[in-house]
Amino acid sequence: MIDTMSIIFGAIILIGVLATVFSGDPFDKLISLGILIGGIMPFFAYRGLLDILAATALIAPLTTIFILMAMRRHLNES
Amino acid sequence: MNGQETALVICALIGLYAALRIIFERNTMRKLPFLNVLTFAISGSIVLILPHPLAILAAAAYFVGSTLESNAIASTWAGGRKDD
Repeated sequence: MIDTMSIIFGAIILIGVLATVFSGDPFDKLISLGILIGGIMPFFAYRGLLDILAATALIAPLTTIFILMAMRRHLNES
Repeated sequence: MNGQETALVICALIGLYAALRIIFERNTMRKLPFLNVLTFAISGSIVLILPHPLAILAAAAYFVGSTLESNAIASTWAGGRKDD
């Protein structure tokens, strides 16, 4: 059971990594990074790391929002 | 395989399908609803894997945070406010 779930969520992580590497648009890269972060969350839940799970759930979207603020400033300058 | 494991398998397969749809979708704005589908499936999987009150809290935080993330990406892609 755990093997099946590990294969599925590992496939989601690999899809996120390959899409992040090979996508050209910066917004596509951020969306693919969202896939990658979503794929690593169930592995924290399997090991029972609840504090790391809650911290990652709070920090990861904030990171994306900060990157978006930097991207918008760069788009306005150019 | 009891009912909870069946629900977990269905949630994981929905997440995998949403990830495949994201990478095969060409339009950027059409990727964002499938990103929401993926994060909803992941939130359900976290709660089904580990039935604990703190896990429910973490899944709710991830649910809200990922929805805000998708909205921020869509808002920035659409240009944000017009008056600045």
